[in-house]
Amino acid sequence: MIKFPEHVDVRKRIYQAIFFWLARLISLAIIGILIMILYFIFKRGAGVLSWEFLSTSPKEGMMKGGILPAIVGTGYLVLFSILFAFPIGVLAGIYVNEYALHGRVKNFIKTMTNNLAGVPSIVFGLFGMALFVNQLGMGASILAGSLTLALLALPLIIRTTEESLKSVDDSFRQASYALGASKLYTIRKVVLPMAFPNIITGLILSIGRVSGETAPILFTVAAYFLPKLPGSLMDQCMALPYHLYVISTSGTNIDQSRPVAYGTAMVLVLIILVVNLLASFARNYFAKKVKTN
Amino acid sequence: MKKITVSLFALSLLFACSGGQKGSQESNSSNISLKGSDTVLPLGQATAEQFMKSNPGVSISVVGGGSGTGVTALIDGNTDIAMCSRDLKGEEKLKLKEKGIDPVIKSIAVDALAVIVHKENKLEQLTREQIEKIFTGEIKNWKEVGGDDAEIVVYSRENSSGTYEFFKEHVMDKKNYASTVLNMPATGAIVQSVSQTKGAISYVGLAYLNADIKALKVSYDQGATFVGPSMESAKDKSYPISRPLFYIYDMKSEAKVKSYLDFCLSAEGMKIVESVGYIPVQ
Amino acid sequence: MKRFFEKFIEALIKTSGYTTSIIVLLIVVFLFKEGISFLGESPVEHSYTLIGHRDNPVNELKDLQIKNIFDGKISNWKEIGGSDQSLSHFELSDLTSIYGEAALGKDLEFTKTFAKKLIDSLPGALLFLPESLVKDAEGFKTITVEKITLVHFLSGREWFPTSKPSAVFGALPLLLGTLVVSFFAILLALPFGLAGSIYLAEIADMRVRNVLKPIIELLSGIPSVVYGFFGLVIIVPWLQNLLQLPVGETALAGSVVLAIMALPTIITVSEDAIRTTPRAMKEASLALGASHWQTIRKVILPYASSGITAAIILGIGRAIGETMAVLMVTGNAAMMPTSLTQPVRTIPATIAAELGEASFGGQHFKALFALGCILFLITLATNFMVERVSSKRKLK
Repeated sequence: MIKFPEHVDVRKRIYQAIFFWLARLISLAIIGILIMILYFIFKRGAGVLSWEFLSTSPKEGMMKGGILPAIVGTGYLVLFSILFAFPIGVLAGIYVNEYALHGRVKNFIKTMTNNLAGVPSIVFGLFGMALFVNQLGMGASILAGSLTLALLALPLIIRTTEESLKSVDDSFRQASYALGASKLYTIRKVVLPMAFPNIITGLILSIGRVSGETAPILFTVAAYFLPKLPGSLMDQCMALPYHLYVISTSGTNIDQSRPVAYGTAMVLVLIILVVNLLASFARNYFAKKVKTN
Repeated sequence: MKKITVSLFALSLLFACSGGQKGSQESNSSNISLKGSDTVLPLGQATAEQFMKSNPGVSISVVGGGSGTGVTALIDGNTDIAMCSRDLKGEEKLKLKEKGIDPVIKSIAVDALAVIVHKENKLEQLTREQIEKIFTGEIKNWKEVGGDDAEIVVYSRENSSGTYEFFKEHVMDKKNYASTVLNMPATGAIVQSVSQTKGAISYVGLAYLNADIKALKVSYDQGATFVGPSMESAKDKSYPISRPLFYIYDMKSEAKVKSYLDFCLSAEGMKIVESVGYIPVQ
Repeated sequence: MKRFFEKFIEALIKTSGYTTSIIVLLIVVFLFKEGISFLGESPVEHSYTLIGHRDNPVNELKDLQIKNIFDGKISNWKEIGGSDQSLSHFELSDLTSIYGEAALGKDLEFTKTFAKKLIDSLPGALLFLPESLVKDAEGFKTITVEKITLVHFLSGREWFPTSKPSAVFGALPLLLGTLVVSFFAILLALPFGLAGSIYLAEIADMRVRNVLKPIIELLSGIPSVVYGFFGLVIIVPWLQNLLQLPVGETALAGSVVLAIMALPTIITVSEDAIRTTPRAMKEASLALGASHWQTIRKVILPYASSGITAAIILGIGRAIGETMAVLMVTGNAAMMPTSLTQPVRTIPATIAAELGEASFGGQHFKALFALGCILFLITLATNFMVERVSSKRKLK
């Protein structure tokens, strides 16, 4: 056994200790950044949050009243964008993992999906405005906004579906084929149920992502002040992220409407918190379920 | 799980169908859209809020983005009323004509455009020529106009803003802004930035003045007389930088927007104008 | 019947599989159709024209020259390649003030007469008038403006898309602004990201990892506008006070916010890369007597380097495409970035700020689409690089 001289050992240990402590500090700093962000927003936003804030419309130049139309608007946008993106995304994920077995086709689609995932949100907004609002004549509407957001969510859902399908062991598929089931039946009854937990997790995370996006809805649906709740797909609506943007940059009494801005920011962050928690719970819950099954 | 999905789907379809086509919504006079000037925005919102209180069947949506955004939306058929803080540009008039839109331009208030600086800025007044040189970048330091030795930080609105265009045409003698000018997305952001930047200078509508910023007195006669912006000086036209604020709409939409427009021009509407901070029209 | 149904579903699946490709194709078509039609147009205001004296040797001017003329910075034709003659510029409103509104006629039908009068008396005059008013008039020479070219668009140093009589579309300050803010953001984030990922993958125990991972996921889920708001109310004033800057809205503020936003991406992807280092290599190194830290430095990191590179490129890609946060904190001044403590204007912020004003199909609209094309191409390039780096890794 090679024995190193004493001082080399010590030097190694010192370097290691230094770096490891540095790494710990830096990680602590990262936690610190998040805590700082949450702290500022919660400290100044918590005082604003009340049942009235969440359930009434803005009054008196956004200084009083609440943000209900923005919450409802975001709700509709999320609902419809996921409605459009989820079925197509899951089917596409199924295609990529179960049907496209030739390397070239699979790689091509995966590259395209990755490219779409990397497209900046403002380019989606540009495209959505050109195609949905103008070319197809929908005007600024929940429909146009949801379709644009759906495009944004699509690659995420496809990716998570594909990965969850991939994690299902092939032996299950083989066993099902051996028993005489068709491919589609196998997917429906064997593979999908097993991949379900991760697909749902991906869905929940997409909901979080979509509810926070501003750039795609700037020109396709968002309104500054629309106290009446939207009644149809063709109406415009307010939305939480856009509301935060305009409240913090417009308005004659920035000082007085600042609390509303903090409140809106807090609601947004709370949504993300809840979404992330739900996703972890879903992961754990279904993981247990699959294990016991 | 399946049941939930199916019922969710059905619910949303119901919602979608209940809406109907956009066409039918437009002809229904209960939905009016206002879009455009950030300067007019607080006025639009206040009058909309008041009007909707006494007319619960009507829904008015207000969107900002700058006068240019409003006029573009009018041209593209995406709004009923364009809020505008400047005159229509030549090419806009042409585009409206091409689309067969006959614009009706109504002045609903008068604004005194204030030149603002940080609260602690030594200066109290500037001539138009000095302001022009500051915004075109020729004058870069406050000491050149009698202030402290500090860099002048110029804030402006984006080029979609009517105030941007108005300021360029009437105060800067049509010259272009310097490339170093900071462009803020809305007037509120300008007020915010000027109140916390010692060397800042910018321009905002009268309604946006508050205790955190200082409005300068302006001279349009090479320094002979200096007047500051206020309700009175705008009313008696002694303040040189005043401008009408407009609602522009298609002649064809007259029936739809008439009652709201009448409200804005009524005595009650003019009271709202004053409470927001602008000057009423007769 | 069942076979038919199954075939139908499978066809549906196959079509869905190709949706992303179709969407990418559509985006490319839409973006480039508008963006490319932008090139080759004249930047002079739609349906207006520039006219000068018949004998004026100058035939064509550049957009920047027009801007400088009408800004009063050029006063003699010799500065722009003409003869030594004093240059004065006039618009329709100037004609009205000189000759009176009545003289020009109710429908401005006598404009060309008075325009000719003006040019004859002032041969060095340059007039900017609506085309329809001077159509079929003789005695003038139309001075054209150099058409927009790709090179000009990419290398022009001034961005004045709404300037009259000629708009100036120079995207270089925007491009540089985008790149500077993003690169510096990654520079800021890299040490933190690397240290964080190493800590997470190698040093931290299970309990810490179970706390840190969700926190990083949370950081990556916070919406861009919340970061922008946070940057606007906390970071901008803080930087201004800390560094005693004349202005707080700077590239530096943008970089700091972007660094925080790109951090989770860098950490997650790097951590993944470090984790997948084969245990055999790690244990061999430890068996040879190397300390944990030496193993990390000399064995794991080099092995994971391509994954870490991929993480960095992905982080850059994310930072370049950011819109709202940058729009709210960088000051949006379209100037060539010379220092981090000055405001900049990025491409996504430009598109977001100006798109509302741009009339559908108009020149400004097309210019913004051209910017969108540039952004899209940068994204494609980023993704391509990530794929190259990742595939190199798979070969190992």
